[in-house]
Amino acid sequence: MTFEIEVGGRVRTVSVEAIGAPVSGGGLFRIRVDGVVHEVESRTTDLGLSLRYADTGRGVDVAVTPRGAGDLLLQLPRVVMEVAVDARRYRRAGAGPVAAAGELRVLAPMPGRVLRVLVKPGDTVDLRQGLVVVEAMKMENEITAAKAGRVKEVAVSPGQSVESGRLLVVVE
Amino acid sequence: MNVLIANRGEIAVRVIRACREMGLGAIAVYSECDRNALHVRLADAAYPIGGSPAVESYLRIDAIIDAAKQAGASLIHPGYGFLAENEDFGQACVDAGLTFVGPTPRAIAQMGSKTAARQVAIAAGVPVVPGTEEPFAADASDEEITATAARIGYPLVVKAVAGGGGKGMRTVASAEDLLAAVRTARSEAGSAFGDSSVYLERRLLHPRHIEIQLLGDHHGTVVPFVERECSIQRRHQKVVEESPSPVLDVDTRRRMADCAARVAKTVGYTNAGTIEFLLDQDGQFYFLEMNTRLQVEHPVTEMVTGIDLVQWQLRIARGERLTIDPERALTPTAHAIECRIYAEDPDAGFMPAPGLVRALSVPGGPGIRDDRGVAAGFEIPMFYDSMISKLVVWGATRSDAIARLGRALDEYRVVGVKTTVPFFQWLVREPDFANANFDTTYLDRELAERKGRPFVEPTEADQLDAAVAAAIAAWTRSHGAAAAAPAEGSAWRRAAKLEGLR
Repeated sequence: MTFEIEVGGRVRTVSVEAIGAPVSGGGLFRIRVDGVVHEVESRTTDLGLSLRYADTGRGVDVAVTPRGAGDLLLQLPRVVMEVAVDARRYRRAGAGPVAAAGELRVLAPMPGRVLRVLVKPGDTVDLRQGLVVVEAMKMENEITAAKAGRVKEVAVSPGQSVESGRLLVVVE
Repeated sequence: MNVLIANRGEIAVRVIRACREMGLGAIAVYSECDRNALHVRLADAAYPIGGSPAVESYLRIDAIIDAAKQAGASLIHPGYGFLAENEDFGQACVDAGLTFVGPTPRAIAQMGSKTAARQVAIAAGVPVVPGTEEPFAADASDEEITATAARIGYPLVVKAVAGGGGKGMRTVASAEDLLAAVRTARSEAGSAFGDSSVYLERRLLHPRHIEIQLLGDHHGTVVPFVERECSIQRRHQKVVEESPSPVLDVDTRRRMADCAARVAKTVGYTNAGTIEFLLDQDGQFYFLEMNTRLQVEHPVTEMVTGIDLVQWQLRIARGERLTIDPERALTPTAHAIECRIYAEDPDAGFMPAPGLVRALSVPGGPGIRDDRGVAAGFEIPMFYDSMISKLVVWGATRSDAIARLGRALDEYRVVGVKTTVPFFQWLVREPDFANANFDTTYLDRELAERKGRPFVEPTEADQLDAAVAAAIAAWTRSHGAAAAAPAEGSAWRRAAKLEGLR
């Protein structure tokens, strides 16, 4: 099987082939990453996968969290990475409205309660200007504009509870 | 004898452990979303006290007192946060015939108000940071506030009288930012503590935050402990604490401990408390405030003295005399460092990252203590502070402790949510941290300079490992049925064919 795997901002073509008989919770795989072949022994663990490269013996313990639509959160011993598997396939069918060119849709980064709305439609905002204050875990988090522009829409009001990913403000 | 713990998370677990070791019954209380929390699972009995928002549960004095009565508890331990520094709660316990494991309501009220506490310190002959003697009235005019600020001088700090943990606190560099800072501090303090009064204090340049833990019994004995240094702060919130301080000499330690004990004795202080000081660049120290409760960072003191502070809290509450050798309390054996691990994404400006903890891998081996409040399978709620664990290490010297901390952080894996572990992995390898070349402004400055650069950047080998792991995970998922069963090759092939037909 072949996958397109996006890691560190680069898409790699990775093919996986099981070698020999599988064993409980894993097996030996021949894996081709961008044309280079690695033989890797893998076992599932309480956290995810334990990998061992057959040629060097190098091992790495990887915690794996599926994040839906092919996205994975991988926690290696010294680094955390977000990885997308076959993103093109998932995103072609992609749900949800796509931002118009030049438009910035500011989403709630975490669930919480809207304490204050600092802008109104038509306002001009600077880069990193505060838009909305969301209270979560007892802290006030000011959500700021990632680009300068004009506020096209304010989608929330003070006191409102918001889920993670909820649209707060549109800046154009 | 039963102890009700009016708290949640790691501190509730910490108190349950002390109860167990002393042969006391441990009673938990819980809000809706905490039904399967670790503290509930570990307690001998647990009582629901209301909805998930803290005001509907952990801040409800009536519900907690009711639970204590139902459980036949005779002591109530408040932990830290929530009602721990609420004199009405202390009084409600007294009125209900329960023993509050902490100071008297009078001492809480006196030291809980930052302005009243400053006056106590002045009366005890302890130096304080220059600032306003009284909080501003709610209707204080802009002119009055501006004039007072001009008298104290800039830079200054706007502080909530009831504040703590960096909430309701704003640094002001110049007059033009003053009134906006007063407004936000008031609003934050009002919603966090139900008291929006604020006052002003001069901001010392590059101070270190050093604090003295103490215990007081009901027989007039006060024992101060070796200091903790908590200068590594992000937006006034401590993130790393250690003991002893890498910069304090023995003489200053003794003078500081003596000042702390004098403040405590002035108010007839009982049980555990901490006096916080600022140490300026000239080695002068100033009383900052008193925390009338157990501190988050108490384990570092326990690690270097071998004295169990929570057990002593319970013993003092039962009327026992303090029999700790004062020299032992003031003499650290080796060095301890604590990291507060939060469910926050450090690479996204430390935004809260609540969610389901799918699995946990916790460091072990020599010199490690992990005070944790969550277990695998627990959904970290959005309603409270998102601390997952306090990782504490012990080493013969400070540099041994730092090396051990790096090792322990590399072993720590909280699967399913983002945590501040990568941030600490970066911090403990910074030369300024290793050389103890920091003050309370250090971390915010460093973070501003990084401009959001990831704390740990993956190497080419990491990226290869990630691609390989992702591919095997995806492959395994599409062969799910076969991989889960004690598999045969044919089952894999069948699954692979099915995948091909999709």
